[in-house]
Amino acid sequence: MIAIGMEGSANKIGVGIMLHPKDGSPPKVLANIRHTYVSPPGEGFLPKDTARHHRAWVVKLVRSALKEARVSVEDVDCICFTKGPGMGAPLQSVAVAARMMSLLWAKALVGVNHCVGHIEMGRLITGATNPVVLYVSGGNTQVIAYSSQRYRIFGETLDIAVGNCLDRFARTLHISNDPAPGYNIEQLAKQGKQLVDLPYVVKGMDCSFSGILAAIDALAAKWGLDGEERAREDVAETTSEEAQGEGSGRKPSRADLCFSLQETVYSMLVEITERAMAHVGSKQVLIVGGVGSNERLQEMMSIMARDRGGSVYATDERFCIDNGIMIAQAGMLAYQTGFRTPLKESTCTQRFRTDEVFVEWRDD
Amino acid sequence: MASRLETLNVPHLPAALPAYVVLYRDVQNSAFLRQQLLSGNKEYEYAFIDASMVLSRAHATAGIFRAVNDYMNERLKSHNVHSEIVFALNPANNIAESFRKFGITDSTKDLLVVKVAVSPEITHDSVAAHLEASVQGKPVPFDDETLSEISDVTKIKKVFKLGALPSPGDKTNGAQNIKAKRQLELSLLSAIALRGS
Amino acid sequence: MADDYKPPALPAPFTNTRPAPELLTQGAEAHLYKTVSLDPSIPAALKIRPFKPYRHPILDRRLTRQRIIQEARCLAKLVREGVSVPGVLALDWEGQGGDEGGWGGAWLMMEWIDGPVVRVVLEKWEAWMKKNASSLDSAQLQHEEARVKDLLRRIGKTLGALHKAGVVHGDLTTSNLMLRTPPQVSDCGPTGVSMEGEIVLIDFGLASQSMQDEDRAVDLYVLERAIGSTHPRSEPLMEEMVHGYRESHRGATSTLKRLEDVRMRGRKRSMIG
Repeated sequence: MIAIGMEGSANKIGVGIMLHPKDGSPPKVLANIRHTYVSPPGEGFLPKDTARHHRAWVVKLVRSALKEARVSVEDVDCICFTKGPGMGAPLQSVAVAARMMSLLWAKALVGVNHCVGHIEMGRLITGATNPVVLYVSGGNTQVIAYSSQRYRIFGETLDIAVGNCLDRFARTLHISNDPAPGYNIEQLAKQGKQLVDLPYVVKGMDCSFSGILAAIDALAAKWGLDGEERAREDVAETTSEEAQGEGSGRKPSRADLCFSLQETVYSMLVEITERAMAHVGSKQVLIVGGVGSNERLQEMMSIMARDRGGSVYATDERFCIDNGIMIAQAGMLAYQTGFRTPLKESTCTQRFRTDEVFVEWRDD
Repeated sequence: MASRLETLNVPHLPAALPAYVVLYRDVQNSAFLRQQLLSGNKEYEYAFIDASMVLSRAHATAGIFRAVNDYMNERLKSHNVHSEIVFALNPANNIAESFRKFGITDSTKDLLVVKVAVSPEITHDSVAAHLEASVQGKPVPFDDETLSEISDVTKIKKVFKLGALPSPGDKTNGAQNIKAKRQLELSLLSAIALRGS
Repeated sequence: MADDYKPPALPAPFTNTRPAPELLTQGAEAHLYKTVSLDPSIPAALKIRPFKPYRHPILDRRLTRQRIIQEARCLAKLVREGVSVPGVLALDWEGQGGDEGGWGGAWLMMEWIDGPVVRVVLEKWEAWMKKNASSLDSAQLQHEEARVKDLLRRIGKTLGALHKAGVVHGDLTTSNLMLRTPPQVSDCGPTGVSMEGEIVLIDFGLASQSMQDEDRAVDLYVLERAIGSTHPRSEPLMEEMVHGYRESHRGATSTLKRLEDVRMRGRKRSMIG
């Protein structure tokens, strides 16, 4: 069976084609392509611009995906699309395309929860059977564990998502959004040495990032490290005497701020994940979502897991960052249990909790 | 008469670092002993504690433990482990004040003496012999019963700012008395543990 | 599962302790051991917050230190206020020692509380009732129900005392409530499960000082949910806990009002992708 997955809940539009062979052999990714809407430094992506981007790219992406997969439309069983959660306008633009394809080719529609898409793709790629899942992206921060046919949320952010915190600080520093603001923070953080004191807000298995963002924005302003002018110095700064010193007395650099922000927020994420693991008695951790491609987060998580006698499962940017194939995968699992989304109900929604989905395809 | 000097092996502390402890009543030469301390006479490097400020064995032991643990981790705030024991009994972070309140004074009658075996020549025998020659007082058992006759509960409560706690004073109500004393004791122990936090 | 796990080396001075402290539980942040107090004849609970190698060492020390001190301060305050919690016997927030010779983890030594946790008491009682309730006559059933009600009322009262003292627990479950074994037990009912003894609150690792109705109400709500999910038979009797709480202190009324709001909204929040 073949599913097409259509994702566009944020600034990426992705199309993936997944084959579940009839003989029961492992699913195969036939195509997985995407295009990212990159906003200028210092700016975030606005819903209407992002939606325009998705509309402009969707036909082209579906065509190339089909070509790359070497499948014809007749072979396709269902069209899966992201129902939510996400940004309204971009979600709609992709849902409209999915509906159109369904009507044009007379294929069943399957609405998919974006977060469940991440989890199912992560499980497929890594082979993790029943992990505690840390889902971290620009829009979500959740610690999830499976129990009796639901992906239950054990902990989550009480305000903004961790990725949002990183993205917005990248804007403060006028760091490039290409390929992704978080990626560029990570590169700059590698030159950071001095740990700046930031709030650390964990409440049980929940956490909060808005206070950290406010604090680090204020520090950047106080030390004159924000804005476009200073962004040009990023390359030069690393070679200057000032940035070489390791002493805690010197004035922090832009790199130090990125380093401190990463160290702080990732420690919080690892801590709440560890608490969930202790709570449910699991030794596997699966990291999904765009922030999950951060190597420092993966490193910290694996140290924690190792000390608990467990292991971390992470995917690379093809599957971690929003993509179409994860929607195809989760959609296919639901499709195989008989799940269909009638045209009338093929709406999308900005709010759609992970634990609202009845996980009929798992019975453990 | 065998010496009343007790070898106190506080659990968790190394066996090689016992504390030698003895309680005296009716001490006659407190002024002399205090003078030796003030002049820095090494022979008299002891924790000389005004026993009226000690509620119980557990209270004294907590002070010894705190001081020896800090000694082992090289974070003494005062000159040596013995002055640190006197300092450890005080809930506040003021060394001079701790000596005024918990240390020996010229008029001290009831005296608790502690010596930690921080060097090999400090042994039970050496300490016993030296104390016998130096302290003019009556050695009594270092136990809660004896201490309950000595401790000035009102003063202890005042120093620890625990005036609101019920006093274990009179012995009319046994169960309540035990409870009040336990509550006071635990409050002292936590104050000692938390000092400087 | 557990055999490939090796607990981290004990911090100083517990490398000296003979017999070695016995590991009871391994939580996410702390390991709980049973050992002796500073008096070899009296047992003690030892909570160790080991070094977390995944964290930046400066951040790790800052957090571990803050948290162990916060926990000890809450316990100290509650002892002074006469709330039944384990007293602090000794503490070291610097936590030297351990494997690397430097920072081994902070530790807190507390009074040992003898007795079962309420979770076990209720589980045993529920298990017995599930199997044998039909064999009891109505007077016996009523008596059993009254015993659980009384237990829940005492829990409510203890929580009232906790909140009145200005502390919120932050992680109330029936595993963090103990029943101190009394000198003699007079009534175990036909179930053989004693519910007598003083309620003692334990594990203040997530506690903080707060007088806010919101924090207090969340404390109660979390316990309500915990009882609801783990002790279904006791859940209908939950009102008793609220009664006990209401009678405990003046501020209880406004906290209970807030509890109704918290129940309505839950911890659930909707989210934006």
